[in-house]
Amino acid sequence: MSLVTDAGHPAEPTEGGQRKAPGGRAPHPLRAEALRGFAPWAGAAVLLTFGGMLAGTADRWQGGWAETATEAHTALLIALPLAAAAGCWQGGRERRRGTEELWATTVRPPLARLLVPALPVALWVAAGYLVAVAAALLATWPYVQGDRPHLALVPGDTAVMAAGTLAGHVVGRVVPTRLAAPLLAMAGYLGLGFLEMGGPAGARPLNPADPVPVGELPVWWQPWAMAVWTGGLACAAALAYAARRRVTALLPLAAALSAGALLAQAGDGLWHTDPLARRQVCDTSTTPAVCVNARYAGMLPQVGEALSGVTDKLEGVRNLPVRWADHGGAPRADEAPLPGLTPLGWSAVRGRLTDPEQFAWEAVTALSGRGDCPEGAVSTRVLWADDAVESYLAPNALQKKGLVPGGPDEERRILAARARLAGMAEDERRAWLSAYFAARAGCDAEGVPAL
Amino acid sequence: MTGLLLYARSRALPATLAALAGTAAFAVWAAGRLDAYLDPDRRVPIVALAPLLASAVIGTSLYSASDELDRTAVRRWWPRRLAHLTALTALAALLVTPAVLGHAETFGPPAVLRNTLGCTGLTAAAAVLLGARLSWLPAFGYVTAVYLGSTAAEGRAATIWAWPMQPGAQTGAWATAVAAFVAGATLYAVRGARPEGPRS
Repeated sequence: MSLVTDAGHPAEPTEGGQRKAPGGRAPHPLRAEALRGFAPWAGAAVLLTFGGMLAGTADRWQGGWAETATEAHTALLIALPLAAAAGCWQGGRERRRGTEELWATTVRPPLARLLVPALPVALWVAAGYLVAVAAALLATWPYVQGDRPHLALVPGDTAVMAAGTLAGHVVGRVVPTRLAAPLLAMAGYLGLGFLEMGGPAGARPLNPADPVPVGELPVWWQPWAMAVWTGGLACAAALAYAARRRVTALLPLAAALSAGALLAQAGDGLWHTDPLARRQVCDTSTTPAVCVNARYAGMLPQVGEALSGVTDKLEGVRNLPVRWADHGGAPRADEAPLPGLTPLGWSAVRGRLTDPEQFAWEAVTALSGRGDCPEGAVSTRVLWADDAVESYLAPNALQKKGLVPGGPDEERRILAARARLAGMAEDERRAWLSAYFAARAGCDAEGVPAL
Repeated sequence: MTGLLLYARSRALPATLAALAGTAAFAVWAAGRLDAYLDPDRRVPIVALAPLLASAVIGTSLYSASDELDRTAVRRWWPRRLAHLTALTALAALLVTPAVLGHAETFGPPAVLRNTLGCTGLTAAAAVLLGARLSWLPAFGYVTAVYLGSTAAEGRAATIWAWPMQPGAQTGAWATAVAAFVAGATLYAVRGARPEGPRS
């Protein structure tokens, strides 16, 4: 017997007094539960919440496949508690309607009575999550500059959303209070936030919403183990609550604990750096060569264009670094680090450099190699020489306006140094710059030619 | 028993007051755990989530178990509804504020007050449109999405759409929160919570 009929297909009376659909079969209760009531709204709520968060942070993920994957995974911090709260709300439905006793009189076993309203919400929540992820991938696609879509975490995260909904449903059945759903949501936010910020290190692999750094990839079995870990716990809770033989809950519980033990034992071994993030593509037609990380290979022409003014002026200069490097690790002795294209949202947004002039200035400051010198270790004379080189090769906005820090005396000397370098003959300047770059990376004034 | 007491019982106000007190106590405890006195910015979770939870408590208290009976009363309901909502909002703001005392411009008392007003306004409007028992959902979705989604948001527009995450007295954020409260409170006072029958 079904307690629910579909308004879209009016039931017709039959001889026995029972009602059935025109096709001859009564619509399955799952169909009505999935198409009507709270389930579609739960999916819409997840989609809107997730979508709202993605829209607010678009600058920092749109255009990078890895960033998009990280953002979609990070969204679990808010989407998972919301899913649990949605399940909890659905779980309290019969209590709110006052139909618990009526349900208890049906011939369906308790587990079926639990799953019929619970599964559609779980499916809609998972669908809402998947649609949001798909929308994010589509939004990223037009702006990507390399790499490939990172989808490894999506199956596990989707399963986690469904598991959270089912677990929330059981909580809703058990806890008879109006505030159960919002309290569960709040507890979820706080719990996941605590695990992220200050939880025990051993719990990190078990946290389904543990943040994943950009460019880190899971081992192939991590998403599936996470799905079994969370899904097993949710199924165990459902079976323990509603199964006729509650001992059957031990089966999913054992599976969950096995998966959890596997995850905990693997620890940091669950993740490895994307090999692509260690590679770079280079334009070797200039000196120094211009390299960008292979994940953003499409930005090489833009970066080369932004640095073309610098490389043109450095033509014929000796002792330069071999390249501006962007291979994810520390630059070697003969390399200068390329200014960071990542994290997205600052220097680069949607595949474009936001401020090429500032980027070029940062690239020139990197050429000096004095970024790691302790504060106060670099003498004033070297700082003035650095300023003159920057002002000549790629002045920033302040240097273009002729503005300098310090008092009148310092201002006069800095402006004089800039003027001397700019006023040198070509050969003289090349020689001076060659001597200047020969002393690169030194924090003291030794070797830096005077201006 | 007087009418007011009966009204308070019918709206589960004792439990609501206890829940608000619990929210405030938890906020104070959490603020201590965050060592917020070292860095006021660490109070962001308190400023965003404590008013949200308080508004959820207030929203669920707007439920009436006897809506049809209520509507047969000869007395006007709007003064009671308005007093109910504003009194609980004021109480919530008063209770949650001690968790973030000091540094008014960096997620301090004004921000908590603003968020309490805004979240309660959203929840009251949701109670009219969705029903009191589910009234927490839109505010939860919105505030949590903004919580994660507004970290890099800047500019005047951000003070409006990301009003729960503004640190101080940004005019746009206050205007949005007050507008949300006025709209929600007016809507609730005039219409009351959406009747929730057996199918809800």
